[in-house]
Amino acid sequence: MNKGWKLLIAAALLLSAAALLLISAACSEQGTAPAQTSEPSVESQQSRLDAIKARGHVVCASNNSIPGFGYVDEGGNNVGFDIDLCRAVAAAVLGDASAIEIIPVHATEMGATIQSGDVDMLVRTVTRSSSRDAKWGNFAYTMYYDGQGFMIRKSEGISSALDLRNAAVCVTQGTTTELNLQDFSKLYDMNIQALTFEKTDAAVEAYRAGQCDAFTTDHSGLYAYKSSLPQSDSHVVLPETISEEPLAPVVPHGDEGWTDVVNIVMAIIIYAEAYGVTSQNVPDALTGNTKVDRLFGLAGSYGQETLGISPTAAQDVIRSVGNYAEIYHRSLGDNGIGLPRGDNSRNALWSAAPCDDCPKGGQIYAAPLR
Amino acid sequence: MSEIPRFLTYKGIPVWRHAQIIQWAAQIISAFLVVFLVAWFFINIGNAIADRNIPFGFSFLDREYQTPIGEHFIPYESSDSFRYALVVAASNTLLVAIIGVVLATILGIFMGVARLSGNWLVSKLALIYVEFFRNVPLLVQLLFWFFIILVLPPVREGYVFGGQLYINNAGISAPGPIPGSLGAVLTWVVLVAAAAAVGVMAHRKLTRRETETGKPSYPLLTGIAIVFVVGVLSWIVVSVISEAPFTISSPEPQGRFGRIHGGITVRAGLLVLLVGLVIYTSAFIAEIVRAGIQSVRRGQIEAARALGLSGTDTLRHVTFPQALRLIIPPLISQCLNLTKNSSLGGAVGYTDMTNVAITMTQTAPAVSIFILIMLVYLAMSLTWSLIGNLYNRYVGFTGV
Repeated sequence: MNKGWKLLIAAALLLSAAALLLISAACSEQGTAPAQTSEPSVESQQSRLDAIKARGHVVCASNNSIPGFGYVDEGGNNVGFDIDLCRAVAAAVLGDASAIEIIPVHATEMGATIQSGDVDMLVRTVTRSSSRDAKWGNFAYTMYYDGQGFMIRKSEGISSALDLRNAAVCVTQGTTTELNLQDFSKLYDMNIQALTFEKTDAAVEAYRAGQCDAFTTDHSGLYAYKSSLPQSDSHVVLPETISEEPLAPVVPHGDEGWTDVVNIVMAIIIYAEAYGVTSQNVPDALTGNTKVDRLFGLAGSYGQETLGISPTAAQDVIRSVGNYAEIYHRSLGDNGIGLPRGDNSRNALWSAAPCDDCPKGGQIYAAPLR
Repeated sequence: MSEIPRFLTYKGIPVWRHAQIIQWAAQIISAFLVVFLVAWFFINIGNAIADRNIPFGFSFLDREYQTPIGEHFIPYESSDSFRYALVVAASNTLLVAIIGVVLATILGIFMGVARLSGNWLVSKLALIYVEFFRNVPLLVQLLFWFFIILVLPPVREGYVFGGQLYINNAGISAPGPIPGSLGAVLTWVVLVAAAAAVGVMAHRKLTRRETETGKPSYPLLTGIAIVFVVGVLSWIVVSVISEAPFTISSPEPQGRFGRIHGGITVRAGLLVLLVGLVIYTSAFIAEIVRAGIQSVRRGQIEAARALGLSGTDTLRHVTFPQALRLIIPPLISQCLNLTKNSSLGGAVGYTDMTNVAITMTQTAPAVSIFILIMLVYLAMSLTWSLIGNLYNRYVGFTGV
């Protein structure tokens, strides 16, 4: 090839490189420009509530393998405490509790899932914490107060977590559980040996076989896994909790109205129990009790119109899903995994609740609906 | 008058049929397309990340990680930085990779040779071994070994041999060296390393003498003797001057739960991962070794036999050195596979790098972390390739 051709080719190469640079620069500007302009004006976008109404169902990221909270029953249905919270939201905004789509997510992917905004709600035994609050989304009311504890074989004859000196403890990695265990061990100079497993099932299996002396996770999880162990009576949950784990639904950042809707639904569930209204006795005509009438949209308002939900949303919620006590007992309590809920248990209603026979002295509480 | 450029007066083949032009044009267009696609891909990712407010960046590296790492072989505190935690995690993976590659290679060569054994039973057993372990998914095998380990008795009912060796479902504990002061260890190790270098030189020199003169010169014995004598002498000297470089620590059950402390413990997670990886990979290596050996021409073996070499000597001096040239490249790729497969460790309770990275995504940007560990895996794999290629050049044909 002669010199002339080489020159020509070199020029062509240079030109194409320049063109490429220009195009990519243009592309990147195109890509970012609309995002910058549309970001501040949320009103111009469709709100999440409108999107859900148009879509016809609520998308919840949850779990399908934690007994009590989110699992699949014999009939192949997603059931559990968390699933019921999702159903309650669907009942409130769409009038149909079954209009839900459950996306099972792993503990390690739940942050990214809610951050992406692809789901309307994350209800998956998520512990509320300040950094998650900052990064992941907005947390609604705490619907279950949990705390990390230990399960141990009864034959060890131990009654306190402080007796776990030099023990090997099985723990699931990728959660705050691992960190809490280490802090606890350090604080009391316990020399606990942690065996970490990617999957909780493997950790429980290792505990069952005696690879570890104890298994640690949140109390709710301990009761759930205890009930799944063969000879579950030979295991005991130690009384101590070594951490605060308030479990609450999370909604994506960026749509405050939607956060308020989810919060109101949680409050409806809580106040229905407080007022003694169950799925069996939801009023559809005035009862004379102002608070009950307001709750069920029979008189007055507590902001339903502003938020864009039906004034009688509470009727749909309680009729199809039930009040807090019903949801609790269906999945966590006597009919579920056997988590106790008596007077002064943390997950009882606050004592100011007006109900007669509901457990009181707990921390379950929501801002008044008025 | 200046000369007119030749391409302006060009009268040859038309441009659109000029083979070289067409080739160059095709190259330019494809290069353009590739660069454009890659650029478009990354810009798209960048925009998506920005749109969805997914955090990205590497400033987290200096932050405290504040999370324990289940098992680590270099000192680690949860107040250490993400950067250091990644190093610790990488060292966990590296440990499995190195031990695993060494054991898998040894076992693989053994099974490959056994596969070609004249003994019917041995060769058929090797065949079953190879076909079974390379045709069952690795994760299934790992879980199988995990449950096998759990069948062992728990620690307080475990097997104890002579009060020194403890075997139970939490792992295997044996007496192990505990390093003394850094100065003592360093002095001793440097001296022994120097002795080893001298020993290797002596071995080489004596081997040459033996081949040239035919006089028995005991090269291996001399080499080992040099290292041994220097090792013992320097041990004594170092111990007298400061303290013993290493002391032996025995494992001992501690506390009401009888957990083993002291000595060296290979925990169940590491054990399961190693057993699974080594057996799985060795099945592939066995096939590579068999193919390599079978590729050596029959005439070579016949000639060796005619010279009076025994079966073992034929394998060692004639067949295997020639087979190595064919074995090394695919063997490297098996080393890479083993290293990468160690990322399944989390399933059986070993905290390898991937496992730690997944945990890190809880408190740091996932995309950044995964870019980092991808680079570390890449570096590890390239290092294996480099070592393998250097060795391949060493054993390859020279001058033929």
